[in-house]
Amino acid sequence: MYRGREGQWAFVFHRMSGVALALFLLLHVIDISLVMLGPDGPFDAFLVFYHNWPFRVGLIAVIAGVVYHGLNGLRIILMDFTSWGVRFQKPMWYGVLGLTTLIGIPVLWKIVPEILGVA
Amino acid sequence: MASAGARAQRPRTFADARAMASSSSELGWWVFMRISGLLLVPLAFGHLWANNMAFNAGEIDFAYVAGRLAQPSVKILDSFLLLFAMLHGVNGLRYSIEDYVKRPGRRFVWKMVLFTVAGIVFVLGVMTLWAFSFEEMGDAMRALGAE
Repeated sequence: MYRGREGQWAFVFHRMSGVALALFLLLHVIDISLVMLGPDGPFDAFLVFYHNWPFRVGLIAVIAGVVYHGLNGLRIILMDFTSWGVRFQKPMWYGVLGLTTLIGIPVLWKIVPEILGVA
Repeated sequence: MASAGARAQRPRTFADARAMASSSSELGWWVFMRISGLLLVPLAFGHLWANNMAFNAGEIDFAYVAGRLAQPSVKILDSFLLLFAMLHGVNGLRYSIEDYVKRPGRRFVWKMVLFTVAGIVFVLGVMTLWAFSFEEMGDAMRALGAE
């Protein structure tokens, strides 16, 4: 299966983020479905709960998970469908981590002040 | 490797996948995970951009969601996002159950619970995206504006 240490970690992170995102997806569809109960329904009251800082920090983790899982998924596709992908899996994984971090900077810059109420 | 042996062996290339697939449907799912994954990158990244970067997610309320769901482009793109994310996510959870739940009876129960919950949630998602006509959504928006 995976013989490099990096490959093993790439798999573990992909599996953990994937399971977390799938469970979040189920929750997210249920919470958005509350809009069907109309403007006077429970949607706004429920969202007040979501706007608390622990949930907003959790949403940053969801964003990080989507970015990592998506970029590492592209790495897996390159490994599976190109002749050179497996050879470059290790540098590509560091590329995935670097790009995830790079995308994280403007995301944190935008969202952290919103959470702190100084936006 | 002992740890790898304990897990279901996953093929690493399309040729491996074809050789190792226990059935043609497993090979189909292996291909589906890659195709849906490729489509989910722009769909999910775009969804996150619209709701977290182009907007303050801490200010999302009924009017915001109703306004989004009144847009045909949002209905269509989010429907594809829902469809591919549900299939990709549920199949990924199925892989996880098969990797970590060893006893056949328990494995069956976990999968049935997963498929039942996912089926209900998927229908709920389709209803949310499509049950309202654009006019109804427009009326709800105007009613909010009139208050």
